[in-house]
Formats: sequence, structure tokens, C-alpha cells
Amino acid sequence: MSLDLSPREPLELLSTRDRTLDAVDKSNRLSSTKTGGKMVADYWENIFTAKERGKHVVWYNGTALNPIFQAAGLEWCHGEAFSARLAAMHLEGPAQAAGEEYGYIGELCSYARTHLGCAVMTQKGITEKQNGIVGMVDQEELASKLPSPDFFVNAYAGCSTGQQWDAMTYRVFGKEFPIFNVSLPMIWGNKKDAGYLRGSEWEKTPLYVEEQLKKLIEFIEYQTKTPFNWDALSENMFYIKRASELRLEAMALCAAAPTPATYWDWVASIAPINFMPANQALVDYFQGVKDEIQYRLDNRISAVQSEKYRVYFDGIMNWNKLGWLTRKFAEYDVAVVAGRYTHDSFWQEPQLIDLDRPLLGMAQHYLICPINHGLKIMEELLIKRCDEYGIDGIAFHSTRTCRAMTNPQHILARTAETERGIKSFFFEGDVADAAFYKDESLESGLVAMLESIDQQRARALV
Amino acid sequence: MTNLDQTAFATLAAVASDPVSYAQEWKARTGRPVIGSFPMNFPSELTHATGALPVIIQESRTTITEGRSLLPEFYCGYTRSLADQAAVGELDVFDAFVLADHCVQLLGAVDVIRWAKPQIPTHFAQFISSMDDPWSRGQVIDKIGSLRAEVEEIVGTSITPEALSHSIGLFNENRRLLRELYDLRRSGRVRITASQLQTLVKSSMVMDIEEHTSLLRDILGALEPEEHAPDSLVRIHLSGHFCAPPRPELLDVIEECGALVVNDDLYHGFRYISTDVPQSDEYGDVDPFDALALWYLDRNISAPCGTRVQRNVDWDSYLISSLEDSGADGVITLMAKFCEPLMLYYPELKKALDGHDIPVLLIETEHEGVAEESVRTRVETFVERIRRNKTRLPSLAQ
Repeated sequence: MSLDLSPREPLELLSTRDRTLDAVDKSNRLSSTKTGGKMVADYWENIFTAKERGKHVVWYNGTALNPIFQAAGLEWCHGEAFSARLAAMHLEGPAQAAGEEYGYIGELCSYARTHLGCAVMTQKGITEKQNGIVGMVDQEELASKLPSPDFFVNAYAGCSTGQQWDAMTYRVFGKEFPIFNVSLPMIWGNKKDAGYLRGSEWEKTPLYVEEQLKKLIEFIEYQTKTPFNWDALSENMFYIKRASELRLEAMALCAAAPTPATYWDWVASIAPINFMPANQALVDYFQGVKDEIQYRLDNRISAVQSEKYRVYFDGIMNWNKLGWLTRKFAEYDVAVVAGRYTHDSFWQEPQLIDLDRPLLGMAQHYLICPINHGLKIMEELLIKRCDEYGIDGIAFHSTRTCRAMTNPQHILARTAETERGIKSFFFEGDVADAAFYKDESLESGLVAMLESIDQQRARALV
Repeated sequence: MTNLDQTAFATLAAVASDPVSYAQEWKARTGRPVIGSFPMNFPSELTHATGALPVIIQESRTTITEGRSLLPEFYCGYTRSLADQAAVGELDVFDAFVLADHCVQLLGAVDVIRWAKPQIPTHFAQFISSMDDPWSRGQVIDKIGSLRAEVEEIVGTSITPEALSHSIGLFNENRRLLRELYDLRRSGRVRITASQLQTLVKSSMVMDIEEHTSLLRDILGALEPEEHAPDSLVRIHLSGHFCAPPRPELLDVIEECGALVVNDDLYHGFRYISTDVPQSDEYGDVDPFDALALWYLDRNISAPCGTRVQRNVDWDSYLISSLEDSGADGVITLMAKFCEPLMLYYPELKKALDGHDIPVLLIETEHEGVAEESVRTRVETFVERIRRNKTRLPSLAQ
């Protein structure tokens, strides 16, 4: 008897980053969003040369303060945006390694960990320059290209880690650059009159934030030794308001079934609405997106080849897996049509913007960040979106290092089932750390949910 | 080891290990409400002044079951335990919940409690966590005002300045007595183990404060400090662990390895008792409601915390200075797994300690406990490393 083991085929152990789905790609992404990709790439290339151009650089995290920075003539680096960009380009490794070497543990928010790693690399670059050493930090690595800050501004809604993260970045740079904190209270929604955009808590809190924004502008004036341009701020908010209106109009067109665009297209449009300069180009971008969606609607072109299920995505984006997830859901005839991260964020209530009093509308938007509400308001928003988009199921991205976004998910799942009979599933992943993504968990959960929906539909026919 | 007054200590230990039973018994005895608060900054004096029993809700030792389906597994043990306690009915003794801290995981857990116990009022007045802004003090005073209104409504009584001043006096006295024990331990003339001290502090968070103070006095009165401190053991400072206490067994293992814990900055330790509510200043009496706001702001100066941000206050430099006071030879950082503020601050602490050649050991803790033998090996090695460094002869090459 031979004890030789029979030769085996090597296991397919490639990561989802390195392999593609075998199935035919049934997704049909918008082409207009490619313009946004170029806008964003140009934006960052411009940032990298800020110092050479003699510009003041602000590092900030959290809410979209960029219209203020733009009006003040600053160059702005948004921490999460840069972490997301690195992850989306699969270039997050060096920054995360630098963060790990500095001492940050792998369970820490991967946005923070990646960005703090960038800070460590940038700080190292400054030290080396001061010591006359050139080239030890590889300037070709995207993660090390951020220009050092002249100051920091933190305005983080919802997540306590956000404020602490910048306090640590401030320390990584040896407290050499000043920091300004805008404190954004959570809209807890405990009073009887509480709800989305209503109630005494909602009336009072933005005024407190508006006052802090005025102090922020005084701080910027002091740092730049330049009077603030209030007219420029109003002009910036004009463009943002118009871009936001177009974005929402375009989103509303996706209530149609089959949908002409998906959540993944809206994810691709986050950077433009979140931190691109406010100008006519921004408006033109969203006009282009809306026009393409309208064209698709008029010509019965769907975003998923054979849409059978309409799904809502709850959770922050898994930036490592944008392309992969787009194809994966489409493979199962699933159109992911809306999500908390895309539809309840980013200047989503443009009617609040008053160009004569721009700071109040900005403060209000900072407070309606989708992680800054108590559970009751989140339940209200979820049900509203499910009704608007005719949702059959919910994909909960259990985002390993983003406690803010995962906070209410288990209860939201129960609410959707109880209130509307909507099925859901959870899959594990992360914002910027590919190590936490589990493809099998997604696949089995998705298939199980779709089977439940099929049964639900079959019962409805009886 | 010093023998603490056994009767008094046994009472405190029983309450610390089962605060819910104590609250039930207190409620039955007094007929007054019990109000639960969450760590780490809610001023218990405010609740006490209404006549209710203020209880800082503790992590339960119970295995998490129902809570698993309410909060993700990557939340800290304390918050997962809270969700579980709400789901299984362990929080039913409370007549209301109040909190002032904004930790994203804590708020998630409190949202679960609101959902599971809709009939129990839950009030959140978020204290600003940026401590040195021009508007910080005013904001906290404003929030103290909201909390006052809320607890008055729950209990159905008004809080007079006199009642609040009285409560402040009682809590200040309790903290003073606990600090006395800390001073004795730091001097080395009294050997109180880390787990015993945890019991003393933890029980003060959940008991009627006058009853607790009376028992503390019994303990202090029975102590017989030594003339001189023994110097044979390696002196350790315990750092970290916010919100929930590290398990007493873990503290015992650390001391069994030849370490003498001489100080800490744990929440269930010195952090909790570090600061008194001011009752007067150079201009005379301080309004007691404003004094609670001052206490909150002062506290981050006397024991800086990673959950607050303040430009001119650093936990790392505080830690170094604290080590100089206690003569500690090394630091053991206890980190509750998934605690983001500590994960963020730890590299700065380590950098400062490394810069001063102070050995540091990081131990992650979990609700379910840690592998004892693994911890024992690590601590023994750590202690041995310090001991060798202490006795190392100067090199001939120098």
C-alpha cells in the first residue's frame, strides 16, 4: 500500500485585491463620475505642492469645513479623505506600517491609524530635512507626500475618537502647530419633541456651533494675518448649495426601478461633494451626473444588468473594496440603490443654507452627520429611505474599526424588519484595513437574505 | 500585607462585587429612587442632593449573552456588558439613567438601554471634551443646569444650593479619606493590595456615601502603619483602564509576581478620587452648581485623561511626574480591548516612558478575562527585568 499523498491543485489563496470575480460583470457604473476622479487626483497633486507655492496648509478631520478654508485662501487636507484615497488605491500599507511602528494598535479606527501614520511620515520628513538628511522617507510613496500643516482644525461630529485623533496628531508633530477644536454635540433626541430637523434640541444646538465657527474664523485670521473674506464664503456656499441640489435631484431619479445609478456611483461622488473646491466645476460635475442619470432613465438603461433586488447599504464605505463590491452585488442581480453614508451625509439638506448667514446652515449640516444622531432619529431616517427607494433588503457593513457607524446597526436591523418586514444581513469589513474584510461572510449572508426575500415574495403571491 | 478591618472591608467587598443587590436593598430600606450614571464624569453629588442614591453602573461579571446581538463584538467589554445587562434585566433596579460623557461606544450602549428600557428615563447632557476653549466653562455650567432640571424632574424635588453644598462636602470627605489610604500605600508603610484598593474605590461609586465614609473611617482607624517601608519589592504604577475596573484576579497576579503596586491612574483608582469639588475660593463661597463645572475642568488637570483634549495638559508628563512622587520602578498599562482613547494615547505614554528609561508593559484585558499563566509569565519577566536593572553593577567599560 502506498502512503504517498495524491498531488493536489494549489489552493486559490489570492486576496480579493488581486483577483477578479469569475462571473460576468453585470454592473454598469456611471461614466460621468470619472470626471470626479480626475478632479480629486488633480486636487491632491495640487495639495502636495502647497508649500512650494507658499500656501498655508490646514489639516482637519470630520465635517466639511472646506468652504471656510477656501474663503481664507488656505490649502486643506482632510484626514479621512486621504486615508480613504490611500485605501481605495491600495496604497495604505506604508502609512499603516508607520502607524503600527509608532505604537498604534490594529483595532484602532483605521482612518485614524492611516492618517496618524501619514503624520509620522511627514514629521519624519521634516526632521530629516532639518538634519540635512534627504530621501530617507521615500517621497515617491503617496502616504508621505502630505505637506506639513501650519495648523490643525478639528470639528468631528458623532465620534469621540475624531477629536482625540487630532489631539494625537497635534502631539505627533510635537505640539509645534496650533490646533483649534470645534465641539459638535450629539443630537441625542431625548426630548418629547425630538426628531430629524425638529425639536428644541435641534433649534438650540446649531446656534452654539455657529458661534464656535465665528471663533474659528478669528483663529484663521490670526494664523494667516489676513482678514477673512466673507463674500467668498457666501459664494462658496452658493456653489455647494447648487451642487447639493443637483446631487439630490439625481439621487431622487434613482427611486425608479430598475435604478439608473447605484450607491457605488454615489460613493464615487463623495469626494467631490465633501472636500473639492466650491466652484462652477463642482456644479458642472453634478449637472453631468444628473444628466447621465436622466439619459439612462429616458433610454431604459439600468445600473445593474438585471435588477431583481433593491438593497440599502448601512455602514461606512469599505474603500479597499469599492470595485469588488460593485461587481459582487450586481452578480446576484442586486442593485444597491441608497445608503446612510451617501444619502444622509454631505450637504444633504441644501434648503438650510442661507447665503446671507452661511455659518448657521453649515453648523446645521455638521450636526446632521449620520453618526451624530441618537437611535430614534436614525430609525426615522432609515425607514424614510427604505420607503423612498422601495428597498427589499439591507446590507449592514459591520465596520470593524468604525464604532460610530456600527453603533445602532443591530437595532436598526430589527426596526426595519418590524416596521417594514425588510430583511437584512451583516458582513464584516473595514473602512481602510483590508485585513478585516471577509468575502465568504458577505457572500453567504447576501445569498441567505436574497432567499428570504424570494420566500417573502412567493408568500405574497399566494 | 496589612490586615484591613475585616468587618468593614467585608461589607465593602460585598457591595463592590454586587452593586445591584445593594441598590435593591437600599431602595427597599429607604423607599427612595436609585439613579444610575455612566463613567467617567457625571457628578454624583447632583443626584445625591435630590435624596436619591447615585450609582455608577459597573461592568457585570456575568457572561455576555443577549448583549451579543445588540452591540458588535468589537466594542469594549464594559459597553457590551451594559447592553447585556439591559437585555437580561440586571438594570431594572434603576429609576433613571444619566450621563455626561461622550464616548462613541458608551453612547451606543446607552442607546441600547434606551431601546431595551423605554420606560426608564435616560438623560444625556454632553459635557464639552475640549477643556481649554474660552467657552468650555460656560458650556459645562449650562449642561449642569440641564442635568439639574432632569434629575429634579425624575425625583420630584428641587435641589437647593444648601443641599448640594452638603452633598459636595460628603463626597469631598469620602475622597479625602480614600486619598489618605493612597498616600499610605504610596509611602510603603501600609501594604494595601491593588485589588483591595479597587474594592474601596469601587464601593464608593455605588454605596450610600455616608455609609461608605463610616466604614472607611473604621478601616483607617484600625491601620497600624510600619515605621519604615520595605524596599525589597519592585514598585509598580498601574496606568490606563478607564470606565471599568480591571479584574481583581489580574491585579493579584501582578502582585504575586513580586511587584508592589504603589500608585495608579486608573478610573477605579486614583483618577476617580483625584479631585475635590471646590467649596470656596479666594473670593469666598463658590456657587455649588458652578463648582461642579469647575470640578470637571480641574479634574483633567489633576489627573489628565485620554478622553479629554487639552493643549496644555499631557497625560504623559503627568505620568512621569507621578512616578517621581511614588518612586515607581516601572509602569504596567492595562488596556481594555477596543478602548479607543487609550489606543490613541498609548504611543505617547510609551514614548515618554522610553524617553525616561522607565520600563513599561502593556496588558490588554477583556470582559471574558485573560489567560492567567500567560500574564503571569509576562509580568514575572517584566519584574525580573526591572530587578536586574536596579542591581546592575556599573560596567567596567564606563
